[in-house]
Amino acid sequence: MRIQRLLAVAMLSSSMVIAMPVTAHASEKTGEIAECMVKAAEKYETAKEEGKGDAALFDEEAKACYSAPSPILPETGELFWGFLSFAIVAFGLIKFGFPALRKGLADREDKIRGDLEAAEQAKSAAQAADSDHEKILSEARAEGAGLVDEARKAAEQVRLDLIARAEADAADVRARANADAALATERAMADLQTQVAAMSIGLAERIVQHNLDAATQTALVESFINEVGGSRA
Amino acid sequence: MTVVAELFPNGITELFQWDPVLFKGTDFGLNKTGIMVLVSMVICLTIFLIGGRKRALVPTGLQNVAESGYLAIESQIAVEVMGTEEGKKWTPFLASLFFYILFINIWSIIPGIQFPATARIALPGLLAIIVWVVFIGAGFKTQGPLYIFKNITPPGVPKPLYILVIPIEFISKYLVRPFSLAVRLFANMVAGHVLLTVFAVMCIELWKHQSGAYQIAFIPLPFFGLLFMTAFEVLVALLQAYIFTILTAVYIGESVHPEH
Repeated sequence: MRIQRLLAVAMLSSSMVIAMPVTAHASEKTGEIAECMVKAAEKYETAKEEGKGDAALFDEEAKACYSAPSPILPETGELFWGFLSFAIVAFGLIKFGFPALRKGLADREDKIRGDLEAAEQAKSAAQAADSDHEKILSEARAEGAGLVDEARKAAEQVRLDLIARAEADAADVRARANADAALATERAMADLQTQVAAMSIGLAERIVQHNLDAATQTALVESFINEVGGSRA
Repeated sequence: MTVVAELFPNGITELFQWDPVLFKGTDFGLNKTGIMVLVSMVICLTIFLIGGRKRALVPTGLQNVAESGYLAIESQIAVEVMGTEEGKKWTPFLASLFFYILFINIWSIIPGIQFPATARIALPGLLAIIVWVVFIGAGFKTQGPLYIFKNITPPGVPKPLYILVIPIEFISKYLVRPFSLAVRLFANMVAGHVLLTVFAVMCIELWKHQSGAYQIAFIPLPFFGLLFMTAFEVLVALLQAYIFTILTAVYIGESVHPEH
């Protein structure tokens, strides 16, 4: 704001500085032209009196009075339009053009910075989430490995139990079979004894009842055996 | 001379001076130079008022020109010379000055015009006076009423030497500066304009007034000279705008930073 005020003062004072010499220059220039024209006219009159008057020469000299102004001194119109155009450019750009441009740049800078920060935050969050996931995954892996180990142990235990139980059952079955066999043998032996006793008794009874010769005894025994054999079949 | 007389029937001054087309006979006569500065003003305003208001994230077209131009002045001239704080503060003025001068200088190579308004002393003189007032004003504002005295008495100089140093410093800092600013810009643009004219006139002379066929063989020389000088004028236009602006920044910087 202070700079703008300073510029306004500068423009105003410079316009005053140039306005004065320009006005002076303008009147000075008009005076010079008039003087030049008078001189040309006087010269022409003198030449005419001497009988050498040349209108074309006068024309040239008169034209020369208007041409060839100083290339160094500034022209009023150029100063005026130059001053006006620079004042408008400076005012328009300093007041409206550049502030809008600066605001646009600042907004964009803020947006890019915000976006970068957001991206950085998102990246950090993603990294944090990633490490969390990694941690969870490793925990899950460890837990899974533990479970598998445990299951393996349990399965091993079950297998051992089953084997032990099977072996026990087999031993039991075997023992029972042995016992059954022994019992059956015992029973068979008992039956046999009973039958042999009964047969012996029967045979003895027959022998006692029939005092037989050797051939008859043999026939009797064979008959008895066949009878017994037939009854057992 | 014949060719010059043919090309410039109203005299060689026609190279630099024109009659007003509007407001004839008044102090505000609008001639070719005046029209040129007005058109340059419109170009400047159009670029920065329209380009500066666009908000594309990736700038293109006018927005790109306006932003990169403004930032170039800020970083390459203002901040570089005056420091970050003062540089950013003064960038709008310096950028206005630079682009105004540039768009006026560049007329020197626009076909059909080929004349920069800065080849007339009015505009460089006016701008130099504005700069002069601005840097002196900035000095008084920053350093107080003793600004000029402080600036023309450099520390460390033996006191008897002040008799010599003070006038030299005063003349070089407060009288020569606006003069040199104006003359540098004016003279460079005049020289460019005259050189282009000379080469163009040589081409025409060789073409139109052949006294022998051999003359035609020499036409390429001034023609390529004309081409080269036209390209060189682009550089001169840019360079002179840059020099004027950077010197302005140096003068203002010296006024607002006395320690420098």
